[in-house]
Amino acid sequence: MIEKEIMLQNQMEQIVEKQHYVNYDEWIKNFSLNLEKIWEEPSARALEPSDTKTNDSAIVIGRGPSLKKNKHLELLADSSFKGKIICSDGILIKALQAGVTPDRFPDFYVITIDYAPTYRKFYHDPIIDSYGSKIKGIFSTIVDPEVVSRARDAGISIHWVHLLADLHLGIKSFNYITSKIIRAKKNNIGLPAIQSGGNVGTSAWFIAWMILKCKNICLIGINHGWDEDDDWKKIVTHNGDLPIDIDKNNPVAKKLFPKIYNPHFKNYCYLDPMFSLYSMCLKEFIIRSPEWVETVNCTEGGSIFGERITSEYFIDFLNEKDRKQ
Amino acid sequence: MKTNFRKEDKDYKPEETNENKKLTKEEFEEFMIQSGAKGSFMIYRSDKKDDELGVEEL
Repeated sequence: MIEKEIMLQNQMEQIVEKQHYVNYDEWIKNFSLNLEKIWEEPSARALEPSDTKTNDSAIVIGRGPSLKKNKHLELLADSSFKGKIICSDGILIKALQAGVTPDRFPDFYVITIDYAPTYRKFYHDPIIDSYGSKIKGIFSTIVDPEVVSRARDAGISIHWVHLLADLHLGIKSFNYITSKIIRAKKNNIGLPAIQSGGNVGTSAWFIAWMILKCKNICLIGINHGWDEDDDWKKIVTHNGDLPIDIDKNNPVAKKLFPKIYNPHFKNYCYLDPMFSLYSMCLKEFIIRSPEWVETVNCTEGGSIFGERITSEYFIDFLNEKDRKQ
Repeated sequence: MKTNFRKEDKDYKPEETNENKKLTKEEFEEFMIQSGAKGSFMIYRSDKKDDELGVEEL
């Protein structure tokens, strides 16, 4: 990455950090209300496999537009993939509805990292109640307790992680203080602390190798961008999340929403400012990941391609896995 | 198809299609404020670069 881009990435991260501290009180509240359960329930470390030679492949599922466009959930449901399925929270209901269930794939995980109470909707569905007892959940200590509670009520087994936020600030940091509070009643045993990369998809990729010790990690629905033919309003509002309207012909819009070419799949996508940052960060962390981690992007589009990323059609990945199993 | 990073390809096109129109810090910040974008969480950075990839036990 050239120096100017690194500088811009750093500046963007600082701006995002400032925005996130607006919700600092929510982190404290959520952590406090989760504390009794954090003391009772297992660390995500309990999910680490004792035998790292088996099931060392994982498919991480995001909720990017390629998932529907390429029918990847249906392809997966019809496959005989034997590895781990790691769902980001926002796609769990659709994955189960498409037949990607723990009955078909017994080593099945879901991840939630965000503090917002709105995430309860990702667990509030009868299909979650049907399969919940067969799903392993990984939740950050600052997730809204109502969200965790809904998942728990559905039978999902809860496992806890810290999200790295301010550990570099030392003994006065949120990360340090909350870790000491947790250890106070856990025989001084702590929790793993993960880099979120700003979003649940990147968090899931980290969890795949750092905690679940998967060597071969396939990504689907991790576009970190919008399809060329997506509606402009959907692109500008980050799929309706942001109350903003920017004219497509505004010169600034072309900078905020650059169109980029994916040379591996020969298609284009639009970035938005958040995806620009998430994309830069995930690509950076993939380059910096241990040598034994192989990242295979089967999203078939989007902005995640480059050094140490193998781009492959999903059907080829599944067929290859079939041959190896 | 299985490829790894940029390969020689007559169909290759540049990643950025509007090279001369790079986003600035100010434009990003203005968008973040105006849009109320919060994202999911911050990116963790530290002088201990290994910690940025996660801490086994905290």
